[in-house]
Amino acid sequence: MAATPDVTDAETRLETLVDTADRIRNAIESVIEGKSDVIRLTVTVLLAEGHLLIEDVPGVGKTMLAKALARSIDCPVRRVQFTPDLLPSDITGVSAYNQQTGEFEFKPGPVFANIVVGDEINRASPKTQSALLECMEERQVTVDGETYRLESPFMVIATQNPIEMEGTYALPEAQRDRFTAKIAMGYPEPAAELEMLDVHGASQPLDKLDPVATTAEVRALIEAIRAVYVSQPVKRYAIDVVAATRNSPDLLLGASPRATLHLVRSARAHAALSGRDYVIPDDLQDLAVPVLAHRLLPSMEAQGQHRRPEQVIDELVRRVPVPDIK
Amino acid sequence: MRLPIAAGLATAAVSLTLYPLFEGGSWFWASMGAIVVTAAIGMGASRLAAPPWAAPPAMVLALGVYLTAAFTGSKAWIGFIPTKDSVMLLGELLGSGFDDIQRFAPPVPANTGITLLTAGGVGLMAVLVDLFTVRLRRAALAGLPLLALFTVPAAVLTDPISWPAFVIGAFGYIGLLVADGRERLGKWGRAVFVRRTRAVTTDAAPDTGRLALSGRRIGVTAIGLAVLLPALLPNLAPAPLFSFGVGNGLGPGGGNIGIPDAIAELGGELRQEANNTVLTYTSSDDQPRYLRIYSLDVFDGTKWTVNPLRGRPEDRVSEGPLPPAPGLDPATAVKRAETHIAISDDIRTLRFLPLPYPATQVAADGDWRADRNSLMVFSTDDEAAGLDYRVVTGEPQPTPEQLDLAAPEPGSSGRRYLDLPPGLDPRVAGLAQRVTEGATTPYQQAVKLQEWFTKSGAFTYSLKASGSGGDALSQFILTDRSGYCEQFASAMAVMARMLGIPAKVSIGFTGGTKIGDKWTVRTHDAHAWPELYFAGVGWLRFEPTPGGGAGQGTAQVPQYTLPVTPTASPSPGASPGASAGADDATGDSGPAPRNPREIDRDLGGVPIVADPGMPLLVKIAIGVAAALLILLIPAAVRLSARYRRRRAMDRPAATGPDPDGVLAVSGGTPSRTAPAVSADPPARGASAVEAAWAELCDMLIDFGRARRPGESPRALGRRVAETLSADPGTIASITAITSAEERRRYARTVDGPAPAAADLRRVRRTLAAAASRKRRLGAALAPLSTLLRLRALGEKALDGFDRLENIRLVAGRSRGGTGDAADDTAGNRAVTVRDVQGNGSSRERSLTGSRS
Repeated sequence: MAATPDVTDAETRLETLVDTADRIRNAIESVIEGKSDVIRLTVTVLLAEGHLLIEDVPGVGKTMLAKALARSIDCPVRRVQFTPDLLPSDITGVSAYNQQTGEFEFKPGPVFANIVVGDEINRASPKTQSALLECMEERQVTVDGETYRLESPFMVIATQNPIEMEGTYALPEAQRDRFTAKIAMGYPEPAAELEMLDVHGASQPLDKLDPVATTAEVRALIEAIRAVYVSQPVKRYAIDVVAATRNSPDLLLGASPRATLHLVRSARAHAALSGRDYVIPDDLQDLAVPVLAHRLLPSMEAQGQHRRPEQVIDELVRRVPVPDIK
Repeated sequence: MRLPIAAGLATAAVSLTLYPLFEGGSWFWASMGAIVVTAAIGMGASRLAAPPWAAPPAMVLALGVYLTAAFTGSKAWIGFIPTKDSVMLLGELLGSGFDDIQRFAPPVPANTGITLLTAGGVGLMAVLVDLFTVRLRRAALAGLPLLALFTVPAAVLTDPISWPAFVIGAFGYIGLLVADGRERLGKWGRAVFVRRTRAVTTDAAPDTGRLALSGRRIGVTAIGLAVLLPALLPNLAPAPLFSFGVGNGLGPGGGNIGIPDAIAELGGELRQEANNTVLTYTSSDDQPRYLRIYSLDVFDGTKWTVNPLRGRPEDRVSEGPLPPAPGLDPATAVKRAETHIAISDDIRTLRFLPLPYPATQVAADGDWRADRNSLMVFSTDDEAAGLDYRVVTGEPQPTPEQLDLAAPEPGSSGRRYLDLPPGLDPRVAGLAQRVTEGATTPYQQAVKLQEWFTKSGAFTYSLKASGSGGDALSQFILTDRSGYCEQFASAMAVMARMLGIPAKVSIGFTGGTKIGDKWTVRTHDAHAWPELYFAGVGWLRFEPTPGGGAGQGTAQVPQYTLPVTPTASPSPGASPGASAGADDATGDSGPAPRNPREIDRDLGGVPIVADPGMPLLVKIAIGVAAALLILLIPAAVRLSARYRRRRAMDRPAATGPDPDGVLAVSGGTPSRTAPAVSADPPARGASAVEAAWAELCDMLIDFGRARRPGESPRALGRRVAETLSADPGTIASITAITSAEERRRYARTVDGPAPAAADLRRVRRTLAAAASRKRRLGAALAPLSTLLRLRALGEKALDGFDRLENIRLVAGRSRGGTGDAADDTAGNRAVTVRDVQGNGSSRERSLTGSRS
């Protein structure tokens, strides 16, 4: 562990954290213009030890975002292009017979990296998807009875394309639940798009991107974020919000306890990125949609009214009273 | 099945209001027994599905049996079967009960007769209530017999019905309505509940405990308002809580009372064969005094009547001196005397006190009130019979010279004492002028008039004179010249009015006869006489009726009419014993300048409280001011809260230890466990932050920008700053408050920049500047934050009532459960049954009621 918890001055730690995170964010923003919210959320998920699902139409920069994040941190990055014929072993790695030594030797797959970019994850067969998802949750790989731990930080950034239906295997809700957050890139603003034309026309900005943080630094950040204080009322509030999704008549399936965990964990990161060493309900409110929405199934009525889970969560968050002390 | 019980309970609850009518409680248990019997029969009839018409007769029969058993058991066969003897005895008891009720004023002794009467009455009411509620299914109509029961004490007693009695009675009736509503719904299916929606939807299970029938809430609220509102509202009459009955609430500050046809009674009494003693009295100067009962001031052409009297509560004679005698100038010499009057027990109903005029103070038991204009003293619920009371009088002792100077000006309000109906015989007026010819002053006119009646007019005294109908008056004056005191008094008063002297007719008794050391007044001393008004001395008695053996035996011409006609003297034989010095003005106390303080001496040191006599306008002003003050209570509460919070903010933080251990820590190790002790004290106590935040929230509510439930402090600050488009200073102030509150709530430590009172002031200024004038006024005078808090209190109270309801219903669960099993096997109402099996819903089950 590079980060030592013997730092006594919490404020200094916090400043370091904000500083490092800002560097990463700036680095990514030099590649992707006008998406600071998305970038911030991405960094939040990274620091919350979570995984990110980016869902949007092709060409808005999903892969670019994943790559930029990976590139800005000086760490091993692997990219997997998911296709229907991709096998689980293509992700986890295989044990191959080494003729020289006469033994089976484990050849690590692309999952053995700090950041794994899974492109178009919904194109792979469910079997392959679940292989990746097991790694995401357990942070380990088991091949031929041997268990191999994955390194920290470990983050999967998966992208998927919502409009392409043929030849895709949509992630089941149980598997979507493993992702800490789902974000949509959205089209850039006209001004941002104009600037993108200028920048990308000349060169590939990704190539110019130099790492701004080391793995050890990121690990230290993650460690620092674990120390962010979550008061009892805020914990109760998180539970209230999640419980509200379970009771809402607009939702067939509410959020899982894992969702609560993810919500609070990412709220810690969110608070730390704001320079706070304590979580406030606003953190949870900001994160409720990206963290919860993809786990929910709208009821038939809500579907009939074209009410998306995002809207439902927005309304719920407005209704659940913010907690006071005691 | 519950309905007959509810009917019985309602009757029992309302019959509680009868309590103040009785002494002792036997009537209550007898009445409860009657109710139990009727309710039992009612339940039996319901259970056996007897036809509705059969139940009331059965109940009455059972009531009869019950009364027989309870009151005439010894005469009944095997204790309760009515026999001829027992029925006779019952009739006797009833008769004596009726007699007793006639005889006694409440509270009546609860003797056997009265108890029987009450129990029977309450029982019959119970039958009626049952008839309306259970048999006819018109529960609301059952309010009529209940109301009848309720009005008995209200009509009989002057004292207001106590509010607990009202509340119990009202709850009884509402319980009846609720039971009826349930029964009705039970026949149709499941009861429909009005659920008070809670803002939070995060409750894991639906909150069945808070379900409540909205009707019950309305009922509870209505009763609460009925009790509280009259108590809170400023009241012109000092009537506490409820003012039912005759003595209160009929007019502004007092009841009216009609007087009996005094004239007719007067004639009747004079013609009586028996000459019974009406009263006896002793007086401090041992002089006979005319005792006035009624003062009639309206003449309609045939008879004299009285304007409506007004006995205001503050004019109770027990409260202090009587109102001052009208027209009596304080400078006029008065002769004070104290008279002790004892009224016989056997007189007819008399609700007016015979008093010498003008009384200044009356000490009598009971609620006796004085009419301000006439100084008549009367009561709406006490009777004079048997009364023993003392009167202090201050009789004016005018000299003839003074009277000569006195103008008969009654003032503008006294014009009515000159009113005469049109159509009087003009010859009477002419005669009046002729008789008083030569008199230069009104006083001399009056004296001449009196002299004409008693002497020169050749009038004779006769009880056989025709009555006072039609033109009997002119006939008496012009032709007959024969009659008794009524005709004389009436004729003189009318003629005085014709001459422009205010006049009225008084009815009462003459001074009577001295027997032993007491003056005795008998039936034949009943008398009528005119009173004429002279400014400065007020109303003076004149005596046109001939006295002595050939006239009204004990009538006496007043002293002040004598000097002008020195030959006129009271009939020597009229007042045996004391008549010689009867009107001696130089009596023991003697004429003296009127000095109110000296009355004390006469009364032997009884303290006399001066009646301040607030005018109506002042009272209205006080009432309005009180109402305004009540309306301003929320504003005052708000102000005090603001002041309290400012104080909390100004308090130095070092003195107040933080209430929460977590907050007391600053910094510390970044581990997840609770940090250890901190070196720095918190910059400011959490209480200060809390106070600032509470004040900010209240301010926002007052100015219509209330915090929304899902809004965090930070979001609130952002919204307010945005919607106000506030200046940076205000934004900084808002942020200071919200971020401090945020830290207080969610951070490990509360330290950091603390909000100051100046921040609040700045925010308030900005809010006020952005608000409309109406809103600003509302924030100052009727702050919404306080009003909402009051409402929350009310809701809490209602929740409390709901909880009470739950207790009762849970107890009745098991019975409902057996019914469900039956239904289950029957295979119907599957939905309801499933509800019961799911936990927590059994309440609805039992609300569905019985299925008899």
